[in-house]
Amino acid sequence: MPPRPKKFIDPFVLAGIEYIDYKDPKLLAQYITYYRSIQSRFHTGTSLKNQKQLASSVKKARQMALLPYVRYE
Amino acid sequence: MQKYELMAIIANSLDAKAAEKHAKDLDGRVEKEFNGKITFSDFWGERGFAYKINKQKWGYYHVSQFNMEADQAQGLRHELNLDNDLVRFMITKVDPKAPLPRKYADMKKEYEAQEKAKADEKAPAEESKAPAKKEKLTTIKEEEPAAPKATEKPKDDVDKKLDAIVDEASDI
Repeated sequence: MPPRPKKFIDPFVLAGIEYIDYKDPKLLAQYITYYRSIQSRFHTGTSLKNQKQLASSVKKARQMALLPYVRYE
Repeated sequence: MQKYELMAIIANSLDAKAAEKHAKDLDGRVEKEFNGKITFSDFWGERGFAYKINKQKWGYYHVSQFNMEADQAQGLRHELNLDNDLVRFMITKVDPKAPLPRKYADMKKEYEAQEKAKADEKAPAEESKAPAKKEKLTTIKEEEPAAPKATEKPKDDVDKKLDAIVDEASDI
């Protein structure tokens, strides 16, 4: 879980990512929690536009078994 | 015309070569049977699943992008459902503004390089800790010979006491 920034700065804007691809599971894995649910905007500081893109790409990645739905163990 | 992306998982019962051939056949069928134009094609190769699918733990991934008429997409979906060698597939609309996706091999190399860089950063920190551990080991070794001496003395005392008790018992 990335630490909450003091000011809300979109991490995708900082990294220069315009299109969040569902085929990049390592990028998406930074924005899901310990129990593999999608991290809220409150904690990561993503903009509303990017959060919508992120959520849809995480859901696509889960369908294709690139990311897990839940954490087992 | 719409821009579509197909991601398919090919069953691991096939060889790597047979799977790659199957992936090429998929692209060929899209062009011939469904009048599509392929703009991007990338065979990922073996990859583990995040969870088990049909009791299998891994499969071959294939990604391709193509321009196709909207009515043809439904036919392609129907056709792929009949394919027994496909574990799972997904056809999605692609945002026309989106850039061409990165090749999987390049992505893998990039992440491996990042992990190496992280490991190199950690390595010097571990070296500084290592000598401190050696000092601790030497101090423990010095203590070890001293310990048995301490235990020997009480043994003599116990023997003397036992003798005393035996003597008392014999007196009675």
